[in-house]
Amino acid sequence: MSNVRTTERTTAVGRARTVLARRTEGRAVALLVVVAIVAAVFEPVVFSSFPVVLGRLALIGLVALGLTALILLGELDLSVASTLALSGVVMASVPNLGLGIIAALITGIVVGLINAFFVVVVGINSFIATLGMLFALRGAAFVISAEKPVPLENIDAGIAFGSSLLGPLTPRVLLFFVIFAVLQILLSRTRIGREFYAVGGNRQAAIDVGIPVRRRLVLGFVISGVVAATAGIINTLELTAADPTAGSTVLLASFAAAIIGGVVLTGGRGTIVGTLLGALALSILQVVLTLSGVQVDIQDIFIGSILLVAIISDPSSLRTAWVRLRAAITRSRTRDTARGLTGNAADQ
Amino acid sequence: MAKPTFTESIGVVAPTSTELSTGARVIKFVADRGIIAFTVILIVYAAIFVNGFASLPNISDVFYRAAPIGIVALGMTFVVISANYLDLSVVAQVATSAVIFIGVSNQAGLAPAILLALLVAVIYGVVNGVAVGFFHANAVIVTLATTFVGLGVLRWLSGGSIFFGPNGGVIQSLGQAKVGPIPLSAIVLIVMAVILGFVLQKTTFGFSIRSYGSNKAATRLAGVRTGQLVVGAFLITSISAMVAGFVLAAFSNTAVSSMAEGYDFQALAAIIIGGTSVFGGKGSVYRTLLGVVFVSVLTNILVLVGLTFGAQQVAIGVLIVVAVSIDAIARKLVKN
Repeated sequence: MSNVRTTERTTAVGRARTVLARRTEGRAVALLVVVAIVAAVFEPVVFSSFPVVLGRLALIGLVALGLTALILLGELDLSVASTLALSGVVMASVPNLGLGIIAALITGIVVGLINAFFVVVVGINSFIATLGMLFALRGAAFVISAEKPVPLENIDAGIAFGSSLLGPLTPRVLLFFVIFAVLQILLSRTRIGREFYAVGGNRQAAIDVGIPVRRRLVLGFVISGVVAATAGIINTLELTAADPTAGSTVLLASFAAAIIGGVVLTGGRGTIVGTLLGALALSILQVVLTLSGVQVDIQDIFIGSILLVAIISDPSSLRTAWVRLRAAITRSRTRDTARGLTGNAADQ
Repeated sequence: MAKPTFTESIGVVAPTSTELSTGARVIKFVADRGIIAFTVILIVYAAIFVNGFASLPNISDVFYRAAPIGIVALGMTFVVISANYLDLSVVAQVATSAVIFIGVSNQAGLAPAILLALLVAVIYGVVNGVAVGFFHANAVIVTLATTFVGLGVLRWLSGGSIFFGPNGGVIQSLGQAKVGPIPLSAIVLIVMAVILGFVLQKTTFGFSIRSYGSNKAATRLAGVRTGQLVVGAFLITSISAMVAGFVLAAFSNTAVSSMAEGYDFQALAAIIIGGTSVFGGKGSVYRTLLGVVFVSVLTNILVLVGLTFGAQQVAIGVLIVVAVSIDAIARKLVKN
């Protein structure tokens, strides 16, 4: 096996193939190409409306970035949408804008720590722990806001926040790219990032080589919480009010972006760049569909179908299905042979 | 780390040879049997201290509200026990079934409506089941995707409008029907519990589901066709969701695409609080029924006491985490 690989590496094609096989962003790139071609044919105006696409990208992709770091560890966070709503409400409830933003960020950190406590210390599956938090935090947002949108005291700051700074770049888009850069460097260029991949790839091995697994898990949950809180802050600033029901579609969109981007839910495989590409493909698709006057319902059908295809076209899923199919065919063939019906089996 | 014995691994609690401390035994007892005690305590407490709980209209109201969500939870127990987390698409399934039940029966009569709803349920079950069982995709994401597609199709075809059943029609009379003081929907809930409980406890299929939930590899090696098994679990969930849609539509005599929002996690909450383990393998339909009763009674009390919707959500969230924490701690204790 290793011999084959070394001979392959000597040729240029072989080397390219090894590099490609290691990358996980294949599906995101494929979807991006398809979406770009569709856009070029039907709505070429998309390519001249960068601000719209970028705004949509920052909307869909921000929470997905934080989630990606956590999924790489092999954990899930279903509470991101509720964290977004709660931190927005907390921020708007504090009269001073600066203090409010700090309070919202602290909310994100605390939520991350609580999630981490249940997963790391108590030992609950992260899916269930964050499911409980999904209810509890949403409920807390309702209680604090008295089930009404909370208006921001300082509306001017919100309006200023929505306008663009440099060309098409609004503060939201800039923040998105800053967080992207920070996480990209953290995960691909630092020791902590490598340890994230190790913990997600094989937790027992990570413990055995002395990686502080618990601390990495805590960091992962805090990243996810803080990024969700940041999205809550941005939403509140742009709307100049905090809506306790905000972010209900964020959960699906973030998971969709990460999975289309090739992040494997069991952990250890995937990149932040993949998530960015996945989010970009989804946002271009949404803009194209909106510009062509497609209803929101039908957009949902598109995105749901793409997510379904993305999850079952995962290489390991395809391999499993193929092995199963072959086993089923062999089984039916042997059964037919026993009955003396080989001719029929060969026809299949 | 001792390996679990066969009986343990299929969810039957075997007498352990190791001596547990008193505290450990209490936690284990709470994890195994606690829900029964808690439910009884809650009902007795409510009957004595909460004004307006122990009245016939209130209790039948509890039943009316518990029935649809309970039927969904009963079916979804199969997916949870097979260690596939949950089926999020019940939100779309219940709403689709309700809209078909009223919308189509207004146009073409009751029989075609029921057949169409059944067809839709089978499609949901097969798509979810094949993706999870044969492609080994994560059930949460698969059912999230089918929810989006399903709700999209439903809103697109129904135009998002509300469908009303004819006044005094069959559907309305079914929804208001009572046997003695007990609403018909509560009887449907109990009949479903008996049938599904039998399937899970007494049939080969049910046994395979439980053993698959505790050890996937071993079950496959034992010659069980695990792909078909998972499809079966998702089919049971969709059929239950279809029945729940009928019950829900009949109760209010209306149907709209958003009527089942929150059913996914509420059903899961009832299942978990009942003591079915989300790690798979351990649990039963009767536990889910108890969980449903517990959550419905609790919600009813919170409403009667005057707590807001937000506070109720907080209570349910905390309850989920506490219930699962007890399960997790009990597992750790048994392991050591």
